[in-house]
Amino acid sequence: MRDLKHLYYFEKLLDEANNELVRRARQEGRICVGNVCSLVPEVLLDLPGTFTVRLRAPRTGSMEMGTYYMTSFLCEYSRALLERAIEGGYQFLDCLIAPDACSMINRAVENMELLKTMPGEKFYYQNMEIPMKADDNGLSVYVSECRRKILEPLHQVYGIGISEDALRKAVEDHNQVCDLITRIGEFRKEEHPRITGYEYHMITMASYVCPKDLLVEKLRETLEEVQQRRPDEKLPYRARVVMVGSEIDDVDMIRLVEEAGALVVADRFCFGALPGREVIQLNDREDVLTQVCRHYMYASECARYMNREKIEGRRTYVDRLAKEYHADGIIYEQMKFCDYWAYERMVGSHVLREEYGYPVLSIDRPYAVGSSGQIRTRVQAFVESIEIKKLQKKQGGAV
Amino acid sequence: MGKKIGSGRLGDLYRPGKKVWKRREWRGVRDTLYDYSRWLHTMGILGKFMLNKNNIKAFFRYRWMLNYLAVPMMVDRHTAGLRGSHLRIAHTEYDLVVEDIAKLMANMFRADQNTGNDQEFSKKLVILDENEMSHLLCGFPNLIGVGREIPAVYVSVLLQQDAVCPYIDIAQEYGLSGDVCPMPEAEVGVSIEDDYPVFGACAIQCNTTCDGSLMGNGVISRRLEGEHGIPCFQLAAPMRHTEDGVQEYAAQEIRNAIKFIEDCTGETWDWDAYFECARRFNAETRERMEWLDMSATDYPQVIGANLALYTETVYMAIGGKVPAFLKADQKITRLAAKSYKKKEMIVPEYRHRAIVWGVQSQYYTDFLPWLQNCWGILPLVDMLSLVSTRMISEDDPEQAIYDMAHLYENMIMRNRTHGGYKVLLDDLWRFCEQFRADMVILWEHMSCKALDGMHGLFEEQAREHGIRLIWAVHDLMDPRVVPRAALRQDVNRYMRSVLREEPLDPSLEEIDDGASW
Repeated sequence: MRDLKHLYYFEKLLDEANNELVRRARQEGRICVGNVCSLVPEVLLDLPGTFTVRLRAPRTGSMEMGTYYMTSFLCEYSRALLERAIEGGYQFLDCLIAPDACSMINRAVENMELLKTMPGEKFYYQNMEIPMKADDNGLSVYVSECRRKILEPLHQVYGIGISEDALRKAVEDHNQVCDLITRIGEFRKEEHPRITGYEYHMITMASYVCPKDLLVEKLRETLEEVQQRRPDEKLPYRARVVMVGSEIDDVDMIRLVEEAGALVVADRFCFGALPGREVIQLNDREDVLTQVCRHYMYASECARYMNREKIEGRRTYVDRLAKEYHADGIIYEQMKFCDYWAYERMVGSHVLREEYGYPVLSIDRPYAVGSSGQIRTRVQAFVESIEIKKLQKKQGGAV
Repeated sequence: MGKKIGSGRLGDLYRPGKKVWKRREWRGVRDTLYDYSRWLHTMGILGKFMLNKNNIKAFFRYRWMLNYLAVPMMVDRHTAGLRGSHLRIAHTEYDLVVEDIAKLMANMFRADQNTGNDQEFSKKLVILDENEMSHLLCGFPNLIGVGREIPAVYVSVLLQQDAVCPYIDIAQEYGLSGDVCPMPEAEVGVSIEDDYPVFGACAIQCNTTCDGSLMGNGVISRRLEGEHGIPCFQLAAPMRHTEDGVQEYAAQEIRNAIKFIEDCTGETWDWDAYFECARRFNAETRERMEWLDMSATDYPQVIGANLALYTETVYMAIGGKVPAFLKADQKITRLAAKSYKKKEMIVPEYRHRAIVWGVQSQYYTDFLPWLQNCWGILPLVDMLSLVSTRMISEDDPEQAIYDMAHLYENMIMRNRTHGGYKVLLDDLWRFCEQFRADMVILWEHMSCKALDGMHGLFEEQAREHGIRLIWAVHDLMDPRVVPRAALRQDVNRYMRSVLREEPLDPSLEEIDDGASW
């Protein structure tokens, strides 16, 4: 296939946290709200007059300072964020909203605060309580926390409008971007997909780290381009996989998997689109904030949710994705030292293999994968095993 | 060795390559006889326990039961070097703890499908998490709360340092990463191996200390609910537990949990029973506060590992339900007060007053007696003992719900690992001031992300506060990763090279307890 016209543009945006669009929005006087986790409702950070950036640490090399402050036993994502913050890499932020979701990110943000890494006069941090179960009680605390920790401080400190109309407008704008990204993603269901997992990951990730409204035109053009795009007659991939697991913001990760022969047709990880880029449906009967919180709480596939319905739901969701996107196998991945995904990966990979019958590859990985030979070899072996299974099935043999 | 404290070389008791000491410690006639009587008492509890057929069956069914042969040695390790009132305080604590665990296990094996299989009795049991408060059971006088993980994992490691290594290996063979906390990892390993007793009307799980603990519950509930048909309730205590905005959420979780237990057992919440426990719990808290007050003076009396292990039992597992514990508390206070008046010391010289912070090494809880005996570092109080001292309501049902929510939010360890840096970092320096400590022994449980995440700031702020900080690195339940000797080495090196001090008891500086229980 021909390269997408804007692929290089999207890739460039991912080269640094304070990218071209962030700088432009800041010059327009908009307030930049940092966030570090999908459990903070993103749409509430994208109000009229604000935009949000999900923190990454692109091109991470040394993490010595992060490791000094948090030891080598915390996940590299949290250490890389702290390292970048100490280096002054997030000074474009006007505030940082963090959830008390996992200990590691929580500690990373607390270190940023105590080490006074953000010099802005009005800069502030908020640590949110996030429900651990999806139920009415969870919703009530979610709503009150979003009001107290997101909306009211933005209004009080920066004078941002937080009326029902402002929230509706934020949801409308958010939905516009999500709709475009979802429609682009639908092409991954085709027998010969017109977009690769890598390309899709670049597009999706850009939407997490840039002011979304400034991306709309490029996204629209990309959708039109993909609609017209002619897929290769012979695919360079030998298997289709769903990627499931903890956050992936390293541009090399999906590329590496695809280079090893597995086309990533569905992205069930943080910084992915499933979930995260679905449209939020609003009604007129209930206040917007409650509806938004309910949406995030029930849509979230985070391994932190501890009630049985959510736990089992995570596995049926992966099964549904595998069916919808016609995947041959599933890759469960986790970043090293991530407690949540260590357990979820262990159980999920057994359940999907033994109860749902999928070939499953289970891997842990560093934050910056680079060109990891180990992961490449494991994916290659996985692809071969899928091929063998397909062949055996075709010949009527044991699978 | 003799009657006086510090009169013997405690290191001489160790036998390299052996599990138990060479002989009992000689403490003078009176104290040795007393100590021996308590040893006999412990053996009596063990003997009585083994007379029951359910318990014998359990001994052969569950691999971890073998560790319970080491109970007397565990008590010995934690009373090393003690004399007079301090020896009596320690034995008062351990006598009750041992009895309580024996009772817990007897109940468990009576109901267990694999041993006693008393199904009617099983309906009266509610499974609790290992690190969970038990106050939800205070209002159900006909029900018994049982933490299956306590005897299988938590106490097992206390008794025998490598007790749960096989379960850690099982979890890792199943696919769990080796970098998670070994405690929930071992608990999951026991579940994967199907090595928990099976019983109970229902289970109340809770997000207790850490992310790993929360996730381990998910694995365990899959087997409990999916295979054994035991319904599980997940009680979500808020993480930002110091904030007013989350208290209603926490209270509603308590209400929901009570309703769940009522639905599963057919029992009704009884406020009279609850308030009776609350009164006792408050009285126990007052006793503990007296001990802590004494620890702020020049003559601390109730300190260290014994205080930690006893507090865990009283505060968390008992929660005011058992009158014998209050009586024991009062006895301890009397002994301590008497000893305090006489200005009795625990070791001959107090060189450093230390706050012990962080998550203790479960396979080396007697590290604290070693600190005091070897180096004269007095472990005044540890993080696990510094739990809530707030008085709970004794007559207001509405307030009582919020009190229970507060206690579930402030479970042992959880009250520091969650809630933000203020309860972990700022409070440490506050306690140093309150207890006039010049030193912090900081357990660095290497897989505890909540503690590790503050590593650099602990160091920097210790310097700012003029506090000497010694790291004690360990892996909680896995002595293969960091052996006991390495923990001692951390301290020895610091004391010799930084402080240029000589040990109080040189025989303890290098000991070989690698093969010990």
